[in-house]
Amino acid sequence: MRFEEELVELLPRLRRFARGLARDASDADDLCQAAIERALKSQGQWQQGTRLDSWMYRITRNLWIDERRATGRRGVHTPIDDAVMQVAGDGAAEVEAGTLRGDVDGAMACLPDEQREVVMLVLVEGYAYREAADILDVPIGTVTSRLARGRDTLMHLLGEAA
Amino acid sequence: MSFDPATLAAFVDGELDDLTARRIERDAENDPALAAEIARHRALKTQLVAHYAPVADEPVPERLRALLAPAATVDTSLAGRREVKRARFAAIHWGAIAASLVLGLTLGLRPWVPAASVTEANGAVVAAGPLAEALDKQLASNQQPGAAVRIGLSFQDKDGRYCRGFESKSLNGIGCHDNGRWHLERTMRGQAGTDYRQASSGELAAAAAAMMTGDPLDAAAEQQARDKGWARR
Repeated sequence: MRFEEELVELLPRLRRFARGLARDASDADDLCQAAIERALKSQGQWQQGTRLDSWMYRITRNLWIDERRATGRRGVHTPIDDAVMQVAGDGAAEVEAGTLRGDVDGAMACLPDEQREVVMLVLVEGYAYREAADILDVPIGTVTSRLARGRDTLMHLLGEAA
Repeated sequence: MSFDPATLAAFVDGELDDLTARRIERDAENDPALAAEIARHRALKTQLVAHYAPVADEPVPERLRALLAPAATVDTSLAGRREVKRARFAAIHWGAIAASLVLGLTLGLRPWVPAASVTEANGAVVAAGPLAEALDKQLASNQQPGAAVRIGLSFQDKDGRYCRGFESKSLNGIGCHDNGRWHLERTMRGQAGTDYRQASSGELAAAAAAMMTGDPLDAAAEQQARDKGWARR
């Protein structure tokens, strides 16, 4: 199959992954567009016989991280609503369980980037720990510990039985 | 619980060796607290998968598709239209995969094991079998001394749902009636020894107090709520 055709088949999944990372639908498609352009340009670096999906996910994720760092440096903040702001980050555990019941977007927004990407890869995209570690270029232990923290926060905020 | 949280998570993620996974499955059959913990993890996964699945079902925007089109011209040829058709099928295909995945995750722990007291529905951990029956029917004011499930306080939570505390040999908790099912909002291990039971009852009472609006139901109100099928007021 042509490289481009394989990429087209990946697009629905890639858009889903990008949506989880970028949260906003049009930001997510911008991210996908940048990833496709990058992939076409660096096609030569992809080794035939290795998994194209992992390679694409890695490109997408790295572009997203670059983008996050760039906006961070410029001091531009993505608008986040107040309710989410109050529970964001490490303070999440102190918030009453179930505060964001049913609000998956809101709960995901509370996770630090490095936990959100692991949650997306393993829980939503269904990658094995090893594959997620390869995509993120971190040790497998880092994947499991970030996943555990992300999971705890999500369960707490989404309000499943404590 | 004899398994640490990391092992349980790995079990739910399909990362354990077969031997350990089978041990957990076997233990969960006789340990509702463990089964509830597993169901809780599965429920989160189900909820996340279901939440993001529709994105993969959306038609891919033309601006993305165009980047990968064989020629960067608008294609009105028959082949082009076939391509569009194929793309639509592709979307349906992904939907089917996502749906079957959700279904697979929702199908409880071991459906063939009879009378489990905990299962999972629509991403929530809910009571089943004898526990669901006790929560539905049993009145705190009138229970058999030897009943398998002991109903404690009944009350209404902040959303107006009827909630009931319960204790049984292997599992204690609080169930809240929502859309015809008892959602298990709190679960803890049932009485192992008397000391434990005491501690667990205290914890349960504290949880109930935090969830409650108004006073707990008295015997008359409890019976009335039951007769109306625990429909929220």
